[in-house]
Amino acid sequence: MSTWKELSENPRLKKIHDERIQILKAIREFFWSAGFQEVETPLALRFPGQEPYLNPVPVRLLDAGKNIYDWHLRTSPEFALKKLLAAGYEKIFEIGKCFRGGEDIRGTHSLEFTMIEWYRCPGELTDIMDDTEKLFKKILRKLGKDSLQYNGREIPALQKWQRVSLKKLFRKYLKVDLDKYLEIESLKKLAEKVGQKVSDTDEYEDVFFRIFLNEIEPNLGLERPTFVYDYPARMCSLSRPTNDPKYAERFELYVGGLEVANAFGELLDPDEQKRRLEADQALRSKLGKETWPVDPDFISALEELSLKRALPAEALAKAGGIALGLDRMVVLCTGAKDINEVIFNSISDQIC
Amino acid sequence: MLNTSDIRKGAVIRLNNELYAVVEFQHVNPGKGAAFTRTRMKHLGMGKLIEVTNKSGEAIDIVSVEFQTMQYLYKAGENFAFMNKSNYEQIEMNADLIGDDAKYLKEGIDVVIGMYEGMPVSIQLPKKITYKVVEAPPAVKGDSAGGNVTKEVICDNGLHVQVPIFIKEGEDILVNTETGLYSARA
Repeated sequence: MSTWKELSENPRLKKIHDERIQILKAIREFFWSAGFQEVETPLALRFPGQEPYLNPVPVRLLDAGKNIYDWHLRTSPEFALKKLLAAGYEKIFEIGKCFRGGEDIRGTHSLEFTMIEWYRCPGELTDIMDDTEKLFKKILRKLGKDSLQYNGREIPALQKWQRVSLKKLFRKYLKVDLDKYLEIESLKKLAEKVGQKVSDTDEYEDVFFRIFLNEIEPNLGLERPTFVYDYPARMCSLSRPTNDPKYAERFELYVGGLEVANAFGELLDPDEQKRRLEADQALRSKLGKETWPVDPDFISALEELSLKRALPAEALAKAGGIALGLDRMVVLCTGAKDINEVIFNSISDQIC
Repeated sequence: MLNTSDIRKGAVIRLNNELYAVVEFQHVNPGKGAAFTRTRMKHLGMGKLIEVTNKSGEAIDIVSVEFQTMQYLYKAGENFAFMNKSNYEQIEMNADLIGDDAKYLKEGIDVVIGMYEGMPVSIQLPKKITYKVVEAPPAVKGDSAGGNVTKEVICDNGLHVQVPIFIKEGEDILVNTETGLYSARA
């Protein structure tokens, strides 16, 4: 929504801003009425996440004793929220700013953006899908709309949303069984067959997305919002395996070809989690990126959670959580042209 | 060799021995996974648009392009004339290379032109440009039921744009060239 001048002289952008306010209110109403509690966690982190392809933004803090803390701004509140699960909170949500360096400042990206994350512990991934679908529908009803909009396309969203496994998508768009492409060698052959070049340094995930981004993603969520679930286990460093250990509990939400949210059946095994985060850290280092230790407090929080899991069947702690980009959600709900139209005084606005 | 982080609008890329100018690029990070750059580019000469996806950091054959700030002067037949602001030299650029951006050009505005081997290959407009409204239908009473009613006006360079009904002839307005839409009064 840009500048104050645009808000006062551009009724279209003003309407988008007014709707953003309504959306924020509806989100809070939705979660409180569903029994969630709103929490706040730190933006400045001593130990940020280890995602190999994200760039946490450095921040220098100085205290009264002139101690310098060279920390980073969060790329998501994920670790902190899971620590709160370890403290015994069962249903929590947070709406807050996150920062990711090295990204675009136009289209669907911004270096500073707003994330909504929520967690259920105990909770299943299907519960999180239900939450997501209900949340969007509540917002649309509040705005008096029945569809989402992206790139000039209207996507009806009040009927039942599609839920489809990646395996089915590979069958539909590539006519192959994904089971046979869970190793990098076979997947590389598939990539070449569909005309994608691969490189020797590609990891499994890279080859996967070369295929996915070109052959599958543009088709997703065009007729109605679509949840894509069950990702190859090796691609999910924070999620637990499904009943079939080749796959992991993760889903993404697509609307009109745009990725809006990413959810995990949370991995609660501290040793396995530590191993995976260290592998991510090693990859960061290999990619020439800044590195820092794996947050030890996060691992001990998982130890606490996995102890709870050892309790009787009833208390069997499974956790599900999701990260949803609020700005992208506002774009979809208001029909804005791009992300800069829904962020007041965005980075791009401050430059021009 | 350069890599994906050097891609920018207007850069010229060599692919399979053909030259392309970057029209648009976008970083794509599926979930928390690998990062990719999706680049839409236009064949220099044929004008055909293609789209390629590269892993971030992948080597790209970006040929040397010099970006220069130039002032738009006038349209000459199929060409548009610009003046280099540092040495006052004039160049002409074909309408095909400018494409849809041509409608935003207005005498006297500064643009950034990509030059390859002395030839202009790409153009970047300012994010917002000021125009004077030269023709505007008067607001019609009873039009405002929807709350977001617009009318089409014509700007001093011939650009047609939808604006709120309260905008009058003779006013200066800002147009966002990324979205193609009215921004605010200038």
